[in-house]
Amino acid sequence: MNKPLRIALTKGRLEKDTVGLLEKIGYDCTAIREKGRKLILPVPDGNLEVVLAKANDVITYVEHGVCDMGVVGKDTIQEMQGKFFELCDLGFGRCKFALATKKGSGFYGGYSVKTVATKYPNITRKHFEAKGMDVEIIKIEGSVELAPLLELADGIVDIVETGTTLKENGLEVIEDICPISARLIVNTVSMKMRQNEIESFVELVEKNLDK
Amino acid sequence: MKRYDLITPEGTRDLLFEDCLARRKVEKTLAELFEGFGYSEVVTPGIEFYDAFMGSARNFRQESLYKLTDSKGRLMVLRPDCTIPIARLAATRLKEAQTPLRLYYNQSVFSNNALLKGRSDEVVQAGIELIGGENCKRADYEVLCTAVEALASFDKDNFRLEIGHIGYFKELVAQLDIDEDVVEEIRMLISSKNYPALNDLLDEIGDNDITKALKQLPSLFGGIEVLDKASDIYANDKITGILYNLRKVFTRLSSLGYEGNISVDLGIVSHTDYYTGIVFKGYLSEVGDSVLKGGRYDNLISSFGKDMPAVGFGIKVDQVARHLEKIGANPSAKPADAVIFGEKGYVVEAMAHAQKLVREGMKVEHSLFNTYEQTVEFAKSKGISTIITVGEEITENKI
Repeated sequence: MNKPLRIALTKGRLEKDTVGLLEKIGYDCTAIREKGRKLILPVPDGNLEVVLAKANDVITYVEHGVCDMGVVGKDTIQEMQGKFFELCDLGFGRCKFALATKKGSGFYGGYSVKTVATKYPNITRKHFEAKGMDVEIIKIEGSVELAPLLELADGIVDIVETGTTLKENGLEVIEDICPISARLIVNTVSMKMRQNEIESFVELVEKNLDK
Repeated sequence: MKRYDLITPEGTRDLLFEDCLARRKVEKTLAELFEGFGYSEVVTPGIEFYDAFMGSARNFRQESLYKLTDSKGRLMVLRPDCTIPIARLAATRLKEAQTPLRLYYNQSVFSNNALLKGRSDEVVQAGIELIGGENCKRADYEVLCTAVEALASFDKDNFRLEIGHIGYFKELVAQLDIDEDVVEEIRMLISSKNYPALNDLLDEIGDNDITKALKQLPSLFGGIEVLDKASDIYANDKITGILYNLRKVFTRLSSLGYEGNISVDLGIVSHTDYYTGIVFKGYLSEVGDSVLKGGRYDNLISSFGKDMPAVGFGIKVDQVARHLEKIGANPSAKPADAVIFGEKGYVVEAMAHAQKLVREGMKVEHSLFNTYEQTVEFAKSKGISTIITVGEEITENKI
């Protein structure tokens, strides 16, 4: 038996969805479901080793080749960038990036430079740069919705799923930026050195995706 | 004020002992190999004019360059690349020289990387450039063989040399009526093997043989069967020629005893404005990034004023060195053969004896202690088992 392929999963909802997918393929994921505090878990019948990590770290581990593959949201990929292959769209973890403001605030009007609060400064910068628009970006770590309410910012760029939080706080989406979903990423060297194993894994994954 | 005087800047490191030995071993192996194939070493300045790295076929990301100014206020950069200075050199000081020029280098390149990503800002590269010459196919083959030899000398069972041709992608996109931005977008998606986004983009452009071929391009890597697959998907004269040449190079390289170590990837599409022909990458298993990169760049030297074809590659020395350390193939730092201890009043004699032994090829350390006992303690702590005492007579003790 070869060394197992190591796959990093983003902890939380993407982890659950990915485990569901692995089980649908037919792998026994008991070790992950009953993981306790362990962070590296075997899936012996798939010759896989699952590593649980935060989203940004999934990219770091895959980029450096200490994990062969990873499952991570498109949001993190866009914010972090990096060198890896982005092989498939797994279809789950769907949501979108959007620009939201206080209701009826007229973000795009007037001549003053607008302030935007976000957890994703790179995506925000890129979005407004493409419009040739100067904005001041403030990085917020927690609930970004607070920033316009406290009048720190004119708008926010954030992930929107249902929009309930926005609505309850008197905010509204004024522009969709891009859709997001979970992606399977692969280290560039692993893809070549372990081509057959990775290709057959990807084939199984694609066959079992909910279309 | 905060002083930064105890640590090295992010992205740099001190190399000590074993790390140094490992780096030097790789450098020595490569220098011997390159010299064996008739290459001569050149050294270019660590500081160059910014302008040399700006222009068609040599665009560097502005933010990745380390910049400074000279006494006249002109913008300078720390050498971000080894090939461009050599192209400059070939087009200027070597323009009358007999071709082909076989040049090799071993020097640091600098890039300003994102912080805290575990990437080095100073990377030692060793590589060759084969410039000019009658027959470019022979040149390609020679350089590829040298690349394979280099990789095999590091870890002969676990390396891979992957060959592609930038012309395949360029020829395909040239058939489409699209502007440069879209070509660049397609290129990036192929380069990251992002099938979903690539398919969406190409669907927008249209459904024809070319877009079909481009959709499959990221998957065109693997053994020689990839070339058959490619010619089944789409071929015109130019592409048939490219595939034919790749096949020839592939079989010729495999026949050198490296079957199984050579593969094809038609999806190598990086630096399309720089490379003009064959492109290749070298991998060692367990190293997360390619350790060797190269290709043919026939337009670069002409941008410095002399039209000369060229092909070459560079190797990331420290990545290879770290790999050798990991697999235990690096030399370990050996302790000295003996400590020389001069008794009181015999300082000159002791040093003279040390000098004699060094000339004979021994490795000795000269004791700076006043007593024999202290010298023994010192030798023990360094793992040295012989003490040579120089006094009225010279005695050798094993400890």
